[in-house]
Amino acid sequence: MAKDNVIVIGGGPCGIEVSRNLRDLGYTPILLEQQSELGGHLRLWDRLFPEGVEARKILKDLTSDLKGVKWFTDVNIESIHKSRKGYTVNVDTGMSFETKALVVTTGFKLFPAERKQEYGYNIYERVITNADLEQYFHTRKDPRIQNPKTIGFVHCVGSRDEKACNRQCSKVCCATAVKQASEIKELFPDAIVYCFYMDLRLFGRSYEDMYLTAQKQYGVRFIRGRVSEVSEDIDGKLFVKAEDTLLGKPMKMKLDLLVLMTGILPGESTTQLSEMLKINVGEDGFFTPRDTILEPCRAKDAGLFMAGACTGPKTIPETLSEARATAIQVHKYLSR
Amino acid sequence: MIDFGYTLSKSGTLKIENLDDSRFKALHKLEPDAYKCINCGSCTASCSAGVFTELSLRKILLSLQRGDEKDYINQLQSCMLCGKCMLVCPRGINTRHLILSISKIYNTVDR
Amino acid sequence: MRERFLVGFDPFVLPFLLGMAFVLTYCIIGLIKVILQLSKADRRKLAVSLFKPANAWKNLRDMFCDCLIHVKLWKRNPKLGYMHSSIAFGWFMLIVFGHIETFIFVPKKAGLFYYPIFFRYFMEMENYNLRGSFFFFIMDFFLLVVLSGIVLAMYKRIRSRFFGMRRTTRLSITDRVGLYSLWAIFPLRWIAEGFTAGIAGGSFMTIPINLLLKNFMSNPENITVAWWLYSIALGTFMFALPFSRYMHIPAEILLIPMKNAGLKVYHPRKGFSLAQIYTCPSCGVCIDACPMSASRQNLKDTTVYLVRQIKRNNARRMNAMTDKCLMCGKCQEVCQIALQSYDIRMRIRERATYNVGLKYDYLDSYQPETGKCKVLYYAGCMSSLTPVTGRSIKKLLDTARINWTQMDAGGGVCCGRPLILAGRRNEAAALIEKNTAVIESSGAQILLVSCAICYRVFKEEYKLKGIKVMHYTEYFNELMEEGRLKLNRGELRYAYHDPCDLGRGCGIYDEPREALSRVGIIAPAEKERAMSVCCGGSVGSLTLDFESRAPITEASVQNMLFSNPDRIVTACPLCLKTFALYSPVKVVDFAEALCDGLEKKS
Repeated sequence: MAKDNVIVIGGGPCGIEVSRNLRDLGYTPILLEQQSELGGHLRLWDRLFPEGVEARKILKDLTSDLKGVKWFTDVNIESIHKSRKGYTVNVDTGMSFETKALVVTTGFKLFPAERKQEYGYNIYERVITNADLEQYFHTRKDPRIQNPKTIGFVHCVGSRDEKACNRQCSKVCCATAVKQASEIKELFPDAIVYCFYMDLRLFGRSYEDMYLTAQKQYGVRFIRGRVSEVSEDIDGKLFVKAEDTLLGKPMKMKLDLLVLMTGILPGESTTQLSEMLKINVGEDGFFTPRDTILEPCRAKDAGLFMAGACTGPKTIPETLSEARATAIQVHKYLSR
Repeated sequence: MIDFGYTLSKSGTLKIENLDDSRFKALHKLEPDAYKCINCGSCTASCSAGVFTELSLRKILLSLQRGDEKDYINQLQSCMLCGKCMLVCPRGINTRHLILSISKIYNTVDR
Repeated sequence: MRERFLVGFDPFVLPFLLGMAFVLTYCIIGLIKVILQLSKADRRKLAVSLFKPANAWKNLRDMFCDCLIHVKLWKRNPKLGYMHSSIAFGWFMLIVFGHIETFIFVPKKAGLFYYPIFFRYFMEMENYNLRGSFFFFIMDFFLLVVLSGIVLAMYKRIRSRFFGMRRTTRLSITDRVGLYSLWAIFPLRWIAEGFTAGIAGGSFMTIPINLLLKNFMSNPENITVAWWLYSIALGTFMFALPFSRYMHIPAEILLIPMKNAGLKVYHPRKGFSLAQIYTCPSCGVCIDACPMSASRQNLKDTTVYLVRQIKRNNARRMNAMTDKCLMCGKCQEVCQIALQSYDIRMRIRERATYNVGLKYDYLDSYQPETGKCKVLYYAGCMSSLTPVTGRSIKKLLDTARINWTQMDAGGGVCCGRPLILAGRRNEAAALIEKNTAVIESSGAQILLVSCAICYRVFKEEYKLKGIKVMHYTEYFNELMEEGRLKLNRGELRYAYHDPCDLGRGCGIYDEPREALSRVGIIAPAEKERAMSVCCGGSVGSLTLDFESRAPITEASVQNMLFSNPDRIVTACPLCLKTFALYSPVKVVDFAEALCDGLEKKS
């Protein structure tokens, strides 16, 4: 069997897994990554819910066996041409690839927290994001985190918010918040940790256990109310305003650290490729597949596939399953 | 009602099946955003009048939805209509018009 | 030149005469009604101003410039200006010279209304002289002027863009009757005078018509038919006039002295505002100007249609249209009769009942500690949602070593403008009173305000003894002018947005631009200053929901991106929040932009 090229755009966990599976099916995957390393957001995360597996270990396992995968980093897509035969992808390094099947795995980006000015990210000293906190868990270095006594987690920053121009639920941040709240409590056992949520959406297997552990073992206090604004006093302490909607009482509390659980938006390359390849996107900016239930990995155009977070927020296991499914779809398409 | 010869103290149970929501329906017609609230409490938390009074737009709206037209609605009298709630609402509810519509339909003058 | 008929009358003048009588009666009754509706004080004000020489001169000048020449339209678009003034001024001159002719040639008929209008029918030319042919020429010349205007008016109905208007008003039925009869009057006059040109004489317009169909035209039967048609067109126009937009012709003559007397709108459809309503010519310039026109569904809620509903006294539509309005004041700015739509809408809102029963007695306990300071800063409710503003102001004030305090740091009392905009003026008084007490007790000399909405109400409604209210754009510019605040100039290009309440509301356009030009380069917006486009976030609108505001904001952002700026700068927390929703370019507060000039200090 002739080894067909399959181009995979986006070298995050999804792109890596698609490529590995395509290779196993006898193809030559060409994996293109914009950044200087493979791994996407997984590189920036410390541990993964629910069990707290180290993200770097997962990434290492994924990248340990890339034999047969032609992968390129620091590559930007210049243009893509569609013909009857398939696609020609031109990149900024001057290379050009031909393929019958193109897989897009361009993923997501985190909501830029400074866009919600009322939370004071980049304005107040002690406001950080979930990504910053993961970085801190790994490096244990962040000038903004100085033995905090009271810590607040704000859920749904840039998700489920018309004013952030993102109506959708980002799906993974509730679980991340519960995970991070427990982790920070482990680091600072004396700290009081609050989670301000609108709805807790922990949907997966054993996520409820994680929630229970956060309550029982770590004593994380869950307050059902969205933070509406944050101010800062002279010593840099934060004043947070929220309503405890279950008690029906507005509250104003002083915090040493505020963590913003930034939501998930379509990645910049996702938006860029949707224009380049004329892929339909929903109001939320994510790709719309041919059929959301039966063919979630195929675009309207023949030979064009997509997987992972470019079609909406997903957990790592979901992304990896989708990657494998996509590889089989590509195989079916190429061996018609 | 069967007369047992004695009365129980007034229970706090909401009798949803007896709910007369004709006024709320009228409110919804006047301000279509009336059902959009997800009770996040942002409006109440940042309310300018809430610094001085118990005003909670969320509570008022929810109680009206549940047919309780007495307990919270007169809180509306302290509203300054400043529009902060409109800015913080994640659902983009037109809160100022909602407030005016509530008072138009439920009449909060003589309470 | 002598009269053709001894009686000097023909039945064909009747349609015109009846129409004229009708219009005059209607206008006199209307005039009395408007005058009676005015308050005693206003009536006196009007009477006094009529007899002041300076005012009388101004009235005359305005009548000439506005009613006849349409100066404002010329400035807007010369083609549009020519179209209107050719009809108005041309027609006026036809009437004037018609009368002069009558006076000169048949002074005893000068008292007859119809004589100057149908002069060419009743007269016969004896011999050609210079004086006669001068009038022949003049009358034909102005007929040509009017006809050219009519041709343009017809073309405008097909392609309004040629006149710089994207959209024109959808006319009502009576407007159409008026319009078509107006269009008919002058061609019919031309033909009618052409018929009699062989007898009564004519010039370059009418003689050729006469010569063209010599035999057909010299038939006296046909002559009368042509003059009948001309008179019927005039009569139809006159009868339609009071019920159509053409009522603006007589109404403006009343409006100009009222406006120059400085009257105020006190009721949405009485007195001064009634005069304004009838002076609206439905030109539709306000449709394009209205920021709501970014979506088609709002077109029918623009000022020109509000005026129509006020005329019809349709309370339901009046309220709905008024509640939707952003109150940005742009329609008033572009309006050629400067219709005070903002005030009229305010009066409509004030009359709406909401049964809120607002009570602010809880404010008695509010006693913020302001201490004694020179500058008292009032941030306003919304500024707590834009912390960058407060932070930047603090930086700038501290750099300039100002002795200042924030009055509402722990939560303050609303300025009252949102209440006023919702028509709750009486209730707002309680907030104004409270804030006034706090401000006055601080002993401050300057009240510094960073919100354009608050600033307007402080300027318009507050009476603060010995305290100067300053918007931060004014204040920081002054500090820089005096050399107390030194900032470095960078290379960033700022597009400054004029917030409605600050620009059109308070006339502050130059200070923010001057200040910004000291820290960077000003990148002009497509429409700015008085023509600035509302951001769409305005608390002025009561009923526009979040989704319907999006297209308005997007259009406004586009306007700001005109010269590819690096930053959009605004001086109002509401504009800041609103622009930030959809702008591809970073949106910053005015004070934040000035702080760019602090950082480069080395």
